[in-house]
Amino acid sequence: MHEISLVRNIFRTLEAEFEKDELEKLSQIDLKVGLLSNVEPILMQNAFEAVTQDEQRFQKAELQVNVVPIIIKCELCGDESEVKNYSFKCSNGHPTKNIIQGEELTIERVHFHE
Amino acid sequence: MAAEKSNKAARGTVQCDNSSFNLLKANDFVADTIRKFVAEKQILLVNITSSAGSGKTTLMQETARRLSSKIKMKVLVGDLETERDADRIKQAGVEALQIVTGGICHLEAQMVWQAMEQIDLEGVELLFVENVGNLVCPSSFDLGEDFRVTLLASTEGDDKPKKYPKMFYTSDLMLVSKADLLPYIPFSVEAAIQDARDVNPDIEALQISSTSGEGIDEWCSWLEEKVKLKKESESMPV
Repeated sequence: MHEISLVRNIFRTLEAEFEKDELEKLSQIDLKVGLLSNVEPILMQNAFEAVTQDEQRFQKAELQVNVVPIIIKCELCGDESEVKNYSFKCSNGHPTKNIIQGEELTIERVHFHE
Repeated sequence: MAAEKSNKAARGTVQCDNSSFNLLKANDFVADTIRKFVAEKQILLVNITSSAGSGKTTLMQETARRLSSKIKMKVLVGDLETERDADRIKQAGVEALQIVTGGICHLEAQMVWQAMEQIDLEGVELLFVENVGNLVCPSSFDLGEDFRVTLLASTEGDDKPKKYPKMFYTSDLMLVSKADLLPYIPFSVEAAIQDARDVNPDIEALQISSTSGEGIDEWCSWLEEKVKLKKESESMPV
């Protein structure tokens, strides 16, 4: 359900950052979502389609959702590793919450028609 | 913040910077406002989360009965519809304000901030925000709280910390609730705590039952300790 709020946030953010006539040329929005951000790409796409029914000026744009894995950096041994199965331990077994990637929920890139 | 548009030439591909294009930026901005406000007023703000039906409101009632003579507390309670939970909490003797989200599955900082403006917070030492019952969406929305406390009812099964990792990752304390039912159901408190700590090495855990009273003293002591620390902290001007 919160995907609807997030899609609205995408549009409000773009409106704050770009001029109205520029947004008419918008062709694609690339989102970067960390695995820990609780965003399900399919639900995000569905929400995008639902919200663009009301906000037709965004209807021509495509949404690309790029999910990135969770990476931690151990404070104890400096090891950087991917978190698998939500087990927050470095490769040497030290527990850590020092996330360097995986919590993102941002617009990474936007593409415009030339 | 100036309402200046970024002077990016809007053609081809535009790389976006992380801070302006963070989709939770608006929520996080209000959450910071709340955090500064409760720091200045030295109010302990606790965000209570769980699935629907895990005993959040019953715990609020029990906490009100036990602590309201010692600690001045109020409760904001979020639900999609009805004022039932606020009514239940008021019956236990503390002021409660219902936040009706009208279909939204979580509380956002803006809703909490608006509710805070509707109640008198003078002298309040402990403010609970009882979130919408849902282990998914509320985990992403910072409400400016000092602590996030998540209930995991024994009836839900001990596998939830791994299934809903973000909630347990962002929580400070896990309360295994409805502990009076443990003898009747296959729920391993050890397994639940082990999984919760695998997701979040720093999470604390307590086993409670609002019905039998088990663990409620420990929960109340935890709260009293945090309220005391908050009152001893420097009052941070907004």
